[in-house]
Amino acid sequence: MTSPFDTEWDAIVIGAGMGGGTLGRALAEAGQKVLFVEKGAEGLRSERNGLTEVFVPEARAARGLWPDPLHVSLDGVETQFFAPLGSGPGGSSVFYAATLERPERHDLDDLPGQPHPTGGWPVGYDAMAPWYDRAARQFRVHGTPDPLSPEAPMPLGMPPPLHQAEAALTDSLRAAGLHPYRTHTGIANIEGCENCLGRKCPKVCKMDGRSAGVEPALATGNAQLASGLAVTRLLSDGTRITGAEVRADGETRQLRGKRYILAAGALHSPRLLLASTSEAAPKGLANSSGLVGCNLMLHVDERFALWPKRGVPDSGATKAISFRDFYHREDMRLGAVQAMGIRASYGEMVHFLNRMFDLRGQPRLRTLSRPLAAVAKTLLGHAHLFVGLMEDFPYAHNRVLYDPATPEKLAVTYTLSDELRARRRAFRKALRKGLRGHRHLFLSMTPELNWGHPCGTLKFGHDPAHSVTRADGRAHDLENLWVADASFMPTSMGVNPSLTIAANALRVASHILEDQR
Amino acid sequence: MTRITPEDGIAIVTGAGSGLGRALARQLCDAGFTVVGTGRRAEALEETGAACADRFQPMPMDVSDFAAVERGFAESIARHGALALLVNNAAVYPKRDVFDETPELFWQSMAINLGGVYACSWAALQDMGPRGAGRILNVSSYADIAPLPASAAYSVSKGAQRVLTRALIADLFDRFPDIVITDWLPGALATDMGIPDGLPPETAAQWGVKLALMRDQSLNGTIFERDMELLPPRGLKAKLKDALMMRRPRPRRL
Repeated sequence: MTSPFDTEWDAIVIGAGMGGGTLGRALAEAGQKVLFVEKGAEGLRSERNGLTEVFVPEARAARGLWPDPLHVSLDGVETQFFAPLGSGPGGSSVFYAATLERPERHDLDDLPGQPHPTGGWPVGYDAMAPWYDRAARQFRVHGTPDPLSPEAPMPLGMPPPLHQAEAALTDSLRAAGLHPYRTHTGIANIEGCENCLGRKCPKVCKMDGRSAGVEPALATGNAQLASGLAVTRLLSDGTRITGAEVRADGETRQLRGKRYILAAGALHSPRLLLASTSEAAPKGLANSSGLVGCNLMLHVDERFALWPKRGVPDSGATKAISFRDFYHREDMRLGAVQAMGIRASYGEMVHFLNRMFDLRGQPRLRTLSRPLAAVAKTLLGHAHLFVGLMEDFPYAHNRVLYDPATPEKLAVTYTLSDELRARRRAFRKALRKGLRGHRHLFLSMTPELNWGHPCGTLKFGHDPAHSVTRADGRAHDLENLWVADASFMPTSMGVNPSLTIAANALRVASHILEDQR
Repeated sequence: MTRITPEDGIAIVTGAGSGLGRALARQLCDAGFTVVGTGRRAEALEETGAACADRFQPMPMDVSDFAAVERGFAESIARHGALALLVNNAAVYPKRDVFDETPELFWQSMAINLGGVYACSWAALQDMGPRGAGRILNVSSYADIAPLPASAAYSVSKGAQRVLTRALIADLFDRFPDIVITDWLPGALATDMGIPDGLPPETAAQWGVKLALMRDQSLNGTIFERDMELLPPRGLKAKLKDALMMRRPRPRRL
């Protein structure tokens, strides 16, 4: 393998996760010379670990996890914890549950009766639809169409058969007037599939940024992966990026390419631009709008336990069921509901309670977590855990922070808006009403933000004063800088972001290839 | 419970030239495994192999020669295929009073009893890691609990070896749950290193082989003494809970 420093690359992809992996694959398959620069270690393909609370940075890095905690100022309360962030080929997606859902039309478009909070994405639903289809094929998504959707469904493979408890739950949800469908999931179900939800899949079975992105890209022979290499700064002559500075073996060196694609994730991509200040760009690169790092959005996770009807045999946790009956209710943008695929285990509960106490600025209450979890586990028994993913709206003051004095410190500030609290109340009310007849229990007292779904921090748009990149993914300010991760999203939608990241990465790749010609 | 079979790969037994190591190697050969046996004396290894038809492959080496271990393991795996099982058995027990145990001599024993276990496990993991599966059985001792006089290096190294098992599991278990590491205390044996009226090594080896070929994930980090699992000590709270729930943790028996 040649040294990545000796080549003039067609594309330098910074971050080899869902966005970078997908985009890099498309470029490599089109014959471009692609370099993935990935901060995380490559690790061994046989690894099967999930997330961990282990605090030793070297041990976290060896497991493909972001080594350092995320510092959060939430409603003015300072706290820190390990966000579910990956670092390595595939990024966070190697730890995901492979839920690949397409959003609703109103998530992207401004519709009569369903006004869009930003007036609509610069690329509308119909323009995005073919890219969703292509991503669904590439990630081998299976499931059944949402019966409530008037849209043509994505190409969906046949899902594996439901087990008894899932079938019974589906029937009783239907009897309650709801419209359950099989969750759209990117798992190939090859022989020996271990259903690696929330952990690394040792086979080429779970489709993620690694198995469906980086690895097929490398297989073309046109791409190379430089792992364990962190880009610290981008260099610019004012109109173009001229190099990417990295630290390698204690030395500062430069990588050079025709195009630079930012795909380090919505928390890290803006930080790299903010770190790349110069006399000509005192606010950082691509930041004439001042919006780099702003409009951070997460989802609000509304978790609840749902008990199967009496007499239904227990056949394990389910991940198979979703419904969108409460996606948009009473003029409010809420979100999709899906089974989480986990049981209310003692460990999960302790973890969840610890996080909740920390975020409320009451870490002392952690001593209560264990006894509470023991009680909860007994109470919950064989309940299925579901989560409603409620949309989060963009506010410029919710943002990623960068302090040149502590460049390694990953920090954000976030304020829960009154509007969000009101929608959450409406979401819970709608769920409560809709689940009538089913024994259920809401599991959170305060809004739980999903730190695995950050987006919006380099939003795309037509107006350079109010967005960071153009509709095609290229920075307004720089000719050869592109964005291909969750940062581009102007709104957070009511579904998991992964499929949208992949679809957009494919779309941006096609624009790069057009630009090439 | 699934068991390791010769189809899964070869076994390496360290210290296979005498005593327990020889008995383990021979019984693994009898079970159909290709066994690579290490030892410092080539003639002793030949003798071990004499009773093993052609399934025994002698590999003369000192486990404290880390470069030789790395090379030897890599060559064995290249020649005979995947490494399914490593039995870390090689150890020395020089009985020396503290005034005779110079720092150099102390360190030599540490290099064999502790360094050798690490070097061999590390070399084995180069093959087991990428495959995500493998079995390591460490022949252990409780010599550290109440060290005998004239046994400093042995006591320290054997105690540290059990810590090493736990440390390896902390590094490996969540990533590679099918790499299964267990400590086994064979008890006092009638070997050169043991006591005259100890257990015949052939008898102990039957348990050792049985345990070595078990690969259930739940064996990770367990300790077996002779043919019985040693359960970790339970605190008062845990004991009380067990009593209330009317359950008793049961050790597994080989």
